This record gives sequence, C-alpha cells and structure tokens, in this order.
Amino acid sequence: MTEEKTAAEQCDEACEANERIQEELKFSKIKVKPVKLTGEINIPDLNPNAMLGVKAQLLTAKEMLEHLGYPADGLIPNWKEVFLRKMDEMLKKYRSVKLFMDICVKCGACVDKCHYYLGTGDPLNMPVARAELMRKVYRRYFTLPGKLFGSRFVNGSDLTEELLVTWYTYFYQCSECRRCSVFCPYGIDTAEITMAAREILNSVGLVQKYLHEIIFKAQTAGNNLGMQQNAIINALEFVQDDLQEQLEMDNIRVPIDEEGAEVLFVTPSADFFASPHIESLYGYAKVFHQAGISWTMSTHASEGGNFGLFIHNYEHMKKINKRIWEAARDLKVKRVVGGECGHMWRVLCNYSNTMWGPFDYLDPKYKRPQHICELTNDLLNRGALKIDKSANEEFIVTMHDSCQVARAMEMGGMPNGQFEIPRAVIRGVCEKFVDMPEATIRERTFCCGAGQGLLGDDMMATRVKGAMPRMQAYHYAKQESGVNFVALICAICKAQLSKMFPAYGIAMEEVGGIHQLVGRAIVLGAKESV
Amino acid sequence: MINGIKFMIDMYVSGIVYAACLVFAAGFLCKIYFGYYKTPQPLKIPQTPQPTTLSGVIMRMAGDVLFFRSLAKGTTLLFIAGWVFHFTFLLMIIRHLRYFVHPVPGFLVALGNGALAIASLLMVALIILFVRRFMDKKVNYVSSFADYFVLLLIMGIVQSGIMLHYERFRPNVVEVKAFMLELMELKTPFLVMIMHPHHAPGNPLFITHLSLVALLLIYFPFSKLMHAGGYFFSPTRNMINNAREVRYINPWDKG
Repeated sequence: MTEEKTAAEQCDEACEANERIQEELKFSKIKVKPVKLTGEINIPDLNPNAMLGVKAQLLTAKEMLEHLGYPADGLIPNWKEVFLRKMDEMLKKYRSVKLFMDICVKCGACVDKCHYYLGTGDPLNMPVARAELMRKVYRRYFTLPGKLFGSRFVNGSDLTEELLVTWYTYFYQCSECRRCSVFCPYGIDTAEITMAAREILNSVGLVQKYLHEIIFKAQTAGNNLGMQQNAIINALEFVQDDLQEQLEMDNIRVPIDEEGAEVLFVTPSADFFASPHIESLYGYAKVFHQAGISWTMSTHASEGGNFGLFIHNYEHMKKINKRIWEAARDLKVKRVVGGECGHMWRVLCNYSNTMWGPFDYLDPKYKRPQHICELTNDLLNRGALKIDKSANEEFIVTMHDSCQVARAMEMGGMPNGQFEIPRAVIRGVCEKFVDMPEATIRERTFCCGAGQGLLGDDMMATRVKGAMPRMQAYHYAKQESGVNFVALICAICKAQLSKMFPAYGIAMEEVGGIHQLVGRAIVLGAKESV
Repeated sequence: MINGIKFMIDMYVSGIVYAACLVFAAGFLCKIYFGYYKTPQPLKIPQTPQPTTLSGVIMRMAGDVLFFRSLAKGTTLLFIAGWVFHFTFLLMIIRHLRYFVHPVPGFLVALGNGALAIASLLMVALIILFVRRFMDKKVNYVSSFADYFVLLLIMGIVQSGIMLHYERFRPNVVEVKAFMLELMELKTPFLVMIMHPHHAPGNPLFITHLSLVALLLIYFPFSKLMHAGGYFFSPTRNMINNAREVRYINPWDKG
C-alpha cells in the first residue's frame, strides 16, 4: 500500500521535473541584429547570460528517439543516476575527455578565441568556461575531494535542473570547430568535451532536434535530407538533364548506382539541389567527364556528411559511415572520393579506416579515401584538364577554410596540405586570388557560425552572432583588395554564409564552392581522356 | 624540554619530506598510468599543424614544451610571463640539486652565481601572472580560489627562498646539505618510523620554505598542476596524422 503510494508520488515528481525542464528549454524566437561591418574583430566585454535565452529545439518524435536508443518522453525520472553513469562511461572511453577534465590551468589563452564569444560576449561562450560546466560536475562526482567534501570545497556543481538547462543551452552553442585548441598550450579540445556533454544529455532524454533528426535520416534513408531512393534518382537525373542542356552535350553524365565504375563519389546530399551547392556538383561532373574517369554516386550511400561525429556516440557515426563502404563493395569501385563537405573529411578520410578498414577490396593504389580537391589538383598538375581562367575573370576570390577541414587532417599526404591544395585548385582556375587576414584563415580560421548541428533555423541568433568574425574578415578583404567571391569546401558553410551574407548586407552570390569555379573554367571536349 | 621540541622538529621535517615525496610520486604515477595512459583514445584527433611522422610529432611537442609554441600564437603577455615563470622555476629546481649531490658539479656552482637574479625574475613573472588573473575580466571570470592558491603558494616558496639567501635568515648550509644527504639514505625512513630521526636544521624560515614545498608536492597530483605530465598524453598533440595510411585501432572497438 505505502510502496504504491511512494511510486505514484515519485512519478508525479519526475513528471513535474520533466515539465519544468521542457518549459525552461522551450524554444523562443529571439531576433538579433547583425553588427555593422568595419573589418575589425573587436573583443567584447563580458555580457553575462546574453545568450541564455537561445535554446535549440528538442526532438520529440518518438519513432526517431526510439530508433536512436534515447529516452522518448523527455527527461527521465532517474536522470541523475543515468547522467553520472554516462559521464563515467565517457571518462573511461575517451582519453581526450578524461585528460581535458584534469589538466586545464585556466590560463585564459582561449578566452577570446571562440567566434560565439566574440559575437556575443556571453562568458559561458568562452571555451574554458564552457568546458568548466563539465569540469564542475567532474570535480564534484569523480574526484576524491569532491566525493568527500562536496561541491563547495572543490568549486564543483551538484546535479540540478538548472545545471541541465545551462548544459543544454551552452553545449548547443559550441560548433566544435576546435579553434580554441589551436591556442591551448595543452591542446585541450573543447569539441571533445561538447561531444561528450551532448551524449550525456541525450542519455537523460534531452535530445536536440536538428542534429539527431539528421542522424536518424542518415541511418534510415542514407542521407541527411531523408530522401528516398527514387527521389535521389530523380534529383540527379534532373541535374544531368540540366547539365546536358546547358552545355549542349549529351555525353556528360551524373551516374548513379553504376556497378564497375572506377570511383564511388560521395558528397553532401545538399549538393543535389541546394544553391549554391549544386554548382559544385556541375563542377565535379565536368572534372570526371573531362578526365575520363568513370564514376558513380550511390543511392545507398547518398550522403558524404556524418552527423554522428558531433556527439560522442561512436555507434551512430559508424553506422552512417558503413553505408559508404557497403556501397563501395557492392558497386565494385576502385576508389572512394568525397565531395565538398567539411566534417566528411574528418569522418570519411580520418576515421573510416579505424571504423571499417582495412579497405583491401579497393585498388591498392587508392586505398585511402580521397578528397575531390586532391583529385582535381592532381589532374591540374598533370595538365589533364584544359582550363580557361578567363571564365572566372569577374571574380577576385578568397578562401574560407572550413573548420573541420582546416583542423582535421592533411590533404595530399603533406602537413598543411588541407590549406595548400584547395588554394592551388583555386589558383589553377582563377586569375585573382587574395587571402583574408592571417588570423582568420588556415589553422586559425573562424567557423562560419553554424557548424556541427547548429544550422537549424532555431539557432538563428547564434548563427548571426557567430558569423561576425568571418563577416568582418571578408569585409576587410573586400575593402582592401576588392574581393567579391569566397570559395569554400563545406556544405554547411555554404548554407550558412549564403544566408548570412545578405543579413550583413553582402550579395548572396558571393558564396560558392571551389568546384563551382573549376566547373566554370573547364573547357570541355578539348581532350578525350588522360 | 629543549630535547622534546628538538625531537618534534626533527620528526616533523623528516616526516613532511617523506610524506610529500611519497604522495607526489604515488599520486603522479597513478594519475598518469591509470588516468591517462590506460584510458583508451578511440580516434585520431591530432590538431593542426599535424605532423605526418613520428619525428614531426616529437618536434612539435618539443616546441610546445620548451618554447610554448601553441601559447605563443595567442596572447603575448601570457606567453612571456608564463614561459619566464616555467623556465626560471626549472633553473631554480636545478640549482637546488646542489643540496642533494656531492661533490657539486661546476655548472651548479656557476648557476648559483645568478641565482638571486633568476629568483627575482621568477617572482616578477609570478606577480604578472597573478595581477593578470585578477585584472583581466575574462580570466578573472574563469578563475577560482584554487588558481590563486597555487600562485600564492609558489610565491611563498620563492619569497622564503629569496630571504634565505640573505645573511640574516641564512641557515647553516653545510648542516642543511648534510641533513638532505642523510634523508636520502635508505635506512633513514626506517629510523624516522622508529622515532630516531636525524638532526634537522632548526632555522624557522628554512622549515617554512621546506613545508611550503612539501605542500606543493602533496597538492600537485590532485590539481591542475597535473598538466605537467598530462600534456604528453594529449591526443591533439601526441598523435601522428596518418590515419589514412596506417590503420589506427580503436582499443574498445577492434573490429
């Protein structure tokens, strides 16, 4: 009798807690104004709680939550217990997380490096302060002094609903761009901490919508947009028709599911029809056509991106990545090439081998997945493509290094290749190329402001504010050198910048992929093959 | 009465030295071995600039450890003050070897000539770091008591050390060295355990200096000071960027 009552009471309490959290995390539209562009990136004064109101929408679709293995009804009743269990798991599975909890000396080298801090002035957007949100829990529950003497003694935090709200808010205001860790004397990578924090939040039932919806779609449909097979075929056929019509050539193709092709090409599904992404797809098709390399895309692996990277859930990432290697095996290709996508570079090229390697069924010459820029650069160097630079005469081009490429791994087998090779491609197809200020490019590049799951419309406030450093740098290059086009190799950057440019008073058409420029400059039909 | 106090001082001084060394060594090694070395790193996450060879990684880490190259990319003041602090602190530790080795090698004698200047520089660097932490609003926001505590503790060590340099406070150096050499003998800890400590120098300032050092050593493994050993395990710094060429195995998902 009494036991039943306690159970009922407990449920009531838990339900109430869930309601309170849902109320706290309710999405509210916040309008922010872009700053006026001056070309200077000023470090703002502290503005506590400036962005506390910006909260990413929660995922409520039960089917998706169940598929992903997360609680389907919001905050679970025994959340504290699950929270700590999950955090313990993170600390035991990821040396990065464990080490970065311990060794920060709070020297302050990172405090003014995050684009979200520069844009908002919110102190919790300083990398060290963001990481400190997790460290406080770590010190309280995972160190001996914390266990013995409590949170006051170790400057820790007890688990409270307020803490959950703060975590959810600020770990979804980090775009995991890793800029802070370039400057950190110990290489503390806030992205690793954010990824772990997001997975901990997932385990107690606070699952962000945009990011996890996409993980679900990529796992079930094979691409981030959730397009079914026939829709993909339709879209690509449409692209092919369009190309053939434009060029008045009927032999240029956008092949799909063609067994025995040399190259399996994977690219963000946004490339199939979003603008300016699609222009790069034309570019890829022209490169393959002109080089005489047979290629195919796949309906099974119709996505280059892998949002599983953005949370420390290895299984999600692995599952999405698997489709590419299944497709490569089924289509009997010799090699795999990735299109213009930032984090694809990290997952496809850096992690595939760990997750699903070794790739002994590929051509031993091309055991490693390649980037389309590596391929194009190689062709340009060999003189295999006929280029007419005057097709891009109207452009003075600069390059935005996308964070997940710039701070992921080398290209072409040489350190810093990820900066040099894309630039070499641009220089190979354009007359005029100018870099933005040194502090905003290459390893110090600024995130576009919407990476790693923050591209949803619900994040418009952080998107506008976080884009500020890149906008200022571009504006500077525009004023100084008359730059009028920014070329890049990331689908998220393209989507974000083509929306932010108009917001900051710059023409939307000034954003595009590198292969958009390549596509314009290639002279087709001049050479049959290499 | 006098003998009783003398005995207690001897016991205290010997005791804290052994306790501090034990806690430091055991704590540091445990953290390094179980906390960092034994914790798996599932994926390669080297950060730019990413060397593609082992020698490249060694050069990169040497640059970070010896010249604070990552830090140098950011704030100049912090870089200079931080580097001077670490470097002069290291020199002071090396100089103190003369109390533990016999005979004293020539370079330690030479280092002794510049000791006061080095220690003063160390103090200046500490003051800059302290004031910066206090004055810079952003750094102040993220600082807690522990961050100021370490600085103050090291300042205390340096200040007492500088004072010991002067005639007025100077202990009998020969006596200090004899005591240290005795402490390093294998039988001494057992003698201390059975309450037969060696005769310790009674200089109060010296005992303060030594106590503060012992406190620092005991505090070390439980604090952010673990960055000293932890850096070498930092996956963004110590990994070779060759995941495409050489398959990296995830320790908990061996495929």
